[in-house]
Amino acid sequence: MPRRGWIGTSLVAAALLLFPPLSGFHPYYLYLVSTALLFGTLATSWNLLAYAGQISFGHAAFFGLGGYTAALVSLSGLSPWLALALGGAVGASGAAAIGMASARLSGASLALGTLAYTEIWRGIAHNWTAVSGGGAGLIGIPPLTPLPWLPLDLARSRTGSYYLALAFLLLVIAVFWGILRSRLGLAFAAVREEEERASLLGVHPLPWKVLAFALSGFFSGLAGGLYVNMVRVVEPDLIFSHYFSILPLVMATFGGLGTLLGPALAALALYLASELLLHPYIPAFHQLPYALALIVVALYLPGGLAGLLPSPSPLPKRGEGETRHGAA
Amino acid sequence: MALLEGQGLSMAFGGLLALRGVDIAVEERQVVGLLGPNGSGKTTLFNILSGLLHPTAGEIWFGGTRVTNLRPWQISRLGIGRTFQIARPFVHSTVFDNVLVGVTFRSRDHVSRGEDRRREAERLLATVGLAGKASALAHTLSLGERKRLELAMALSTRPTLLLLDELASGLSPKGREEVVRFYGQLKERGLTIFAIEHSFRVLARVADRLLVLDQGAIVADGRPEQVLGSPRVVTAYLGEEE
Repeated sequence: MPRRGWIGTSLVAAALLLFPPLSGFHPYYLYLVSTALLFGTLATSWNLLAYAGQISFGHAAFFGLGGYTAALVSLSGLSPWLALALGGAVGASGAAAIGMASARLSGASLALGTLAYTEIWRGIAHNWTAVSGGGAGLIGIPPLTPLPWLPLDLARSRTGSYYLALAFLLLVIAVFWGILRSRLGLAFAAVREEEERASLLGVHPLPWKVLAFALSGFFSGLAGGLYVNMVRVVEPDLIFSHYFSILPLVMATFGGLGTLLGPALAALALYLASELLLHPYIPAFHQLPYALALIVVALYLPGGLAGLLPSPSPLPKRGEGETRHGAA
Repeated sequence: MALLEGQGLSMAFGGLLALRGVDIAVEERQVVGLLGPNGSGKTTLFNILSGLLHPTAGEIWFGGTRVTNLRPWQISRLGIGRTFQIARPFVHSTVFDNVLVGVTFRSRDHVSRGEDRRREAERLLATVGLAGKASALAHTLSLGERKRLELAMALSTRPTLLLLDELASGLSPKGREEVVRFYGQLKERGLTIFAIEHSFRVLARVADRLLVLDQGAIVADGRPEQVLGSPRVVTAYLGEEE
């Protein structure tokens, strides 16, 4: 990443760390930025999957599976922390299951398959009333319990969930950063670029694709679990809505596919522009930033916002330096 | 027993029979050339041998192991590497990463230390004269450089048998000379080579044996001087006089 990029990123990170005290611990703004951070996690996890060449229109399925799991586990009386972790695990399993379809499907057909997969889960959540609460969903989800080593009020204030959302975002970015420098990233890139060619070099594509789905689903499930914990309610039409499938796609594409920070930064910018600038004044047009972002990418910026940055000097040695794809 | 043996290989695409009961045998450390007019089934045969296609009928044996219907990564791991007539590198990755894939994911002679893998990839790039291009993106390479990258990628899996698909095609006379030199180097390294080339001149200089395919069947098999003078081969390329 160029020096200016590092400076900009450090400033954004510092602003995010200091935001709660700077906002006077205002609950509405904390909730808003927490949600933007969760979208940052979703967009980065979507990007991680796209790095392996798999396009998803169904991240709402992984988000929703994580959300429902977290809700059900914490409502059963178990620790909400365990519920969050299990949300991630179920998100990963659900994603790995549809990832198996990539043995037969690819490109648009796989993307449509993931879209259908979300609808299946929404249908299950609607109809399996005894477990999911049906269309009305589940309410009264317990808050996260305090941890002795964590000086945050997780039950009453929004500050705790804010920092947790920030931690999730930093975690998925750190994992993606590690992947870009590892043999995992090498396999993902090879499978994305030329699956057949990769297979002739000893790479069995399916396990790598399923692993990419599982990793992406894990972070989406974590985000879903925390989201449910923040809003204390889960219902099928909300958590399995296309909103959580399409927005990560738009955010990642606008930020720059294959880049480390682009999707998260785009998620923050687009979500906050929508909620702070448009929603209060022209609510009917509050989703305009997403539409404009998609148009701008399609017509003028195929590389997303990261494409505006000067090209990084290529560093060929995977494991020592950055790759072309992870440098923005 | 030959290193590579194919018996009765047939391949049908719907009603079109691309290969008709082809028998081949490639002995260890030999350079065997495969000639044939366009559409004769040469690339189909390579696709079958490398696992990209499964034959409609017939059996393939490699090093005494039956490899019929194995998947490409399984065949690659057993020691068969290949190149493509139209180079197919990972165009948005660096030249270095293109070679690193095979070095990293082969299971034969697996190298566990990342540093050793990187050194081997550097050595391979030096072998094909691309050391100075390691950090370039593959799509920026010229045709000749792409062909050399193809070769380095195929060598990255440490194959014992190389299937080379028209390494010399589209190259300048100087580039072809380089290809002839590469063939010599590969032979010196003890590799067995099965090569498709359109250029008789290249194959006549490097091959120990030539096979000629025409309309999906082997029509000639022998030493280069015998095969290139054969009336069947002349007919296959020029057609019969009316």
